[in-house]
Amino acid sequence: MFRSALLSALLALAAYAGSAWLTHDFQVWTAEGARRLEVALQPIAAPALPMDGPGLRAQPLSQFLADGQSVTLVDFVYTRCQTVCLALGSVYQQMQATLQAAASQSGAPAQRVKLLSISFDGQHDTPQVLQAYAARLSADPGFWQFARLPDAKDTERLLADFQVVVVPDGRGDFEHNAALLVVDQHGRLVRIFDYAEQQLALDYARHLASQASP
Amino acid sequence: MSGLPPAWRKWCLPAAGLLLCLLALPAARLWLEASMTRHMLVQFPLLALAGFGLAASLRQRWVERMNRWNGHGITGLFAAALLLSILMIPRLLDLALVDGRIELAKFLALLVCGAAVQLSWQPAGLLVQGFFLGNVLPMTVVVGYLFESSPVRLCNAYLLGDQERLGQGLVWIAAAVALAWFARLVLVLMRRDMAADA
Repeated sequence: MFRSALLSALLALAAYAGSAWLTHDFQVWTAEGARRLEVALQPIAAPALPMDGPGLRAQPLSQFLADGQSVTLVDFVYTRCQTVCLALGSVYQQMQATLQAAASQSGAPAQRVKLLSISFDGQHDTPQVLQAYAARLSADPGFWQFARLPDAKDTERLLADFQVVVVPDGRGDFEHNAALLVVDQHGRLVRIFDYAEQQLALDYARHLASQASP
Repeated sequence: MSGLPPAWRKWCLPAAGLLLCLLALPAARLWLEASMTRHMLVQFPLLALAGFGLAASLRQRWVERMNRWNGHGITGLFAAALLLSILMIPRLLDLALVDGRIELAKFLALLVCGAAVQLSWQPAGLLVQGFFLGNVLPMTVVVGYLFESSPVRLCNAYLLGDQERLGQGLVWIAAAVALAWFARLVLVLMRRDMAADA
């Protein structure tokens, strides 16, 4: 019986160690929670993959994001979306309005935060389609731009790097872990916010932008 | 549960081995893991069943050697309870899909679970069995209820409706196991009473 008690105690310790590893010391229980925590602890560099979009010259994504001045709020969309993306669209519309208001008050500083919606349905969402989509959402190209990666393989690579998981929902739509991704001036993904936390995400981005160039 | 007739026992190893091989096939894994419900309510129990079969085919000599470390089946059932509680963490389901090492660990954990239950259930007796189920079943119900009522997806790879279905399934399974065990408990106690009266 002593041996059984000893082995049980060892098993309990092993299980504690295993679950502590799995949950980052009991802080997160889901893959999404772990992803957000890991990004905050260890920023992820945006990959240098070719992108294009309405009003954007063809350039690697990393170069567009790492312009040394502006912080970018990135989200992933597809224009055929009828559900979540519409909510995300209105979040972006509100953030655009906030940025526009700040810019008209004080001039340049607000320009240092830009909004970028990247389509993960690059085969369908050509620059023309994105142009029409932007017009529908009344996006102001001075603040809010749209892009896609022409090559489907590149899109997969980007989604894997940023740990975006896209699942077809069987009704022609896609479900994905939609969130607001804050990318700093050096093109590194530094923080992920839920889109219910839009104000926090925007404040954080503006704080980052103001810190770098006072 | 270890009271299988010898004629059956010799089929345990090939049957469990075959089941394990089938479950390890990439196509089977892909299909079972495409849905959260199939992942947890079909693949998990089948893997545990394979482990159960493998343990049932162990030679008596080995079982006796292990029993020294498994007094009253306590170590085995404790290990199974610990493994089940880790296997219910939603992050594990997502990780198993993208990380081969986690997938392998998940397979092994479920095999061990099934094997531990096979080796420990009979020696445990009603008291230890009741303690084991009294911990594992409420945990299953709580996890099931969380899956069912969560307004957000807990796994990035699965849909919300799938998660709700899985949650309901977990609650129903926990209830069914509790009822089945309770019915057996009543039956055993009645038999004991009758034997005592006679």
